[in-house]
Amino acid sequence: MQPVFVAGVGMTRIGRRSEPLPALMAEAAHAALAEAGLEAPEAIVVATMNPEEFVGDGNFASNVATHMGFAHVPALRIETATSSGAAAVYTGFAQIAAGLRRTVLVVGGEKMTHLATPKVSEIIGRSIDPYERTYGVTMPALAGLVTRVLMARQGVSAREIAQVAVKNHANGARNPLAHFQQAVTVEEVLESRMVADPLRLLHCCPISDGAAAVVLSAERATVRVAGVGHGADTLAVRHRRELTSFAATRAAAREAYAMAGFGPERIDLAEVHDAFAPFELMSLEDLGLVPPGTAGRATLDGDTALDGRLPINPSGGLKARGHPLAGTGVAQIVECVLQLTGRALTRQVPAATYALAHSIGGLATNNWVTLLERA
Amino acid sequence: MIEIIAASKCPRCDIVVAPPATYCPHHPVAMTPATLPGIGEVVSFTTLHTPPTGFRSPLHIAIVELRGGGRFVCHGADTRGLKIGARVAIEAIDNVYYFSHLGAMERARLFWRRTGHAGDRVNAIARSLAKRVWKGRQRAAS
Repeated sequence: MQPVFVAGVGMTRIGRRSEPLPALMAEAAHAALAEAGLEAPEAIVVATMNPEEFVGDGNFASNVATHMGFAHVPALRIETATSSGAAAVYTGFAQIAAGLRRTVLVVGGEKMTHLATPKVSEIIGRSIDPYERTYGVTMPALAGLVTRVLMARQGVSAREIAQVAVKNHANGARNPLAHFQQAVTVEEVLESRMVADPLRLLHCCPISDGAAAVVLSAERATVRVAGVGHGADTLAVRHRRELTSFAATRAAAREAYAMAGFGPERIDLAEVHDAFAPFELMSLEDLGLVPPGTAGRATLDGDTALDGRLPINPSGGLKARGHPLAGTGVAQIVECVLQLTGRALTRQVPAATYALAHSIGGLATNNWVTLLERA
Repeated sequence: MIEIIAASKCPRCDIVVAPPATYCPHHPVAMTPATLPGIGEVVSFTTLHTPPTGFRSPLHIAIVELRGGGRFVCHGADTRGLKIGARVAIEAIDNVYYFSHLGAMERARLFWRRTGHAGDRVNAIARSLAKRVWKGRQRAAS
């Protein structure tokens, strides 16, 4: 297998953006290419979850490639719901690892703030099992069902869950590209509007526009992609026995650690899919980053804070950096690379060598773990 | 008055899923038809305050594990006082399942939460009531 390196990264400001999606993707892509010192990549992988519904355009790989001046560069689009960005990184990684390409531009993004929230909720919800959807089940509803079991059966407290949001907002306040750059308190989280009982508004990631890009290369660069893992689970949540742990995360982690030849003990920082605050706690345990049953305590104790033993979501995570769906999986890699190359400004984790990115697709039907190493 | 719910079972791993599926979600084998009694335990529940287009707030949703193993997503009139593990009954009206025993007024309110043609809703309520009366008579006769 050919070693794969990250030659350049780029990202737009995440939030409410007026530019069309291809313009946002071009901004991120050209920044990543400039950093890589590359005028054109050999191939392009585009990640968007649902441009047909969100912006009304299809054949989106060609649309984006043409928009940014690469009409003659082969481009394809990858989709695994909310983890599409991570899936696109894997696709680019696989092309280079297999020796099929020397350089691949991976760009992911979404544009959704121009639509009303119930409409956005419905479109994102189309990644849920069609039968469950006929009951009005949305992502927050499923997350609410999971959270109730987590609290009742695993003893996770409301304060532990709220602290995830508090920590990630504090990190977002240090990220000039984050959707939310202001801190919140535990009380504010616990008093915010109920969305899907027991989940409240400040437990949930925002609806965001934005794009992120990475240039992957066979040429040696500072950061190497050490391993990628993909895990899957049933589309229907009712077909699962276990609600408080995601089998797709555990499988993805196993595969990624096996490919990299090291385990969770080496990880210096991680970007974890905190679309809903309790998911960060579940994922820390599923990824093996903390022992089972200890994620809440570790979070309250500050272990996962920026100055803690294992900083989680230094970018602010989906919660504060924002969640432009297919942009997120790529944005997580961008943050890891910035951290590993000492360019994370006031949120820099000191002496970081190994980073992990974890992305959840749908309600954990298509999850990814990507491991990065300072080469 | 316990409903019989159509389900399917995997001949390899014995998982029961409802409504019936062609293939087992865990194995590439055809499922065999099965039925489940419409009673079970609440696995989890939530009240959705920002439902998607086509539904009204608040929307009460539960996952119920039926006696016999299959899990079900269903609607309810309310989740106040409900607990994980609580025993509930499931009833289907127009292929939509509702948990707990509900009075006629509560059911009328429930139908109104699903947006649709007013005529359909009234029709469904009438059929649900007729079904109850019919089942009550059957029970009295037996």
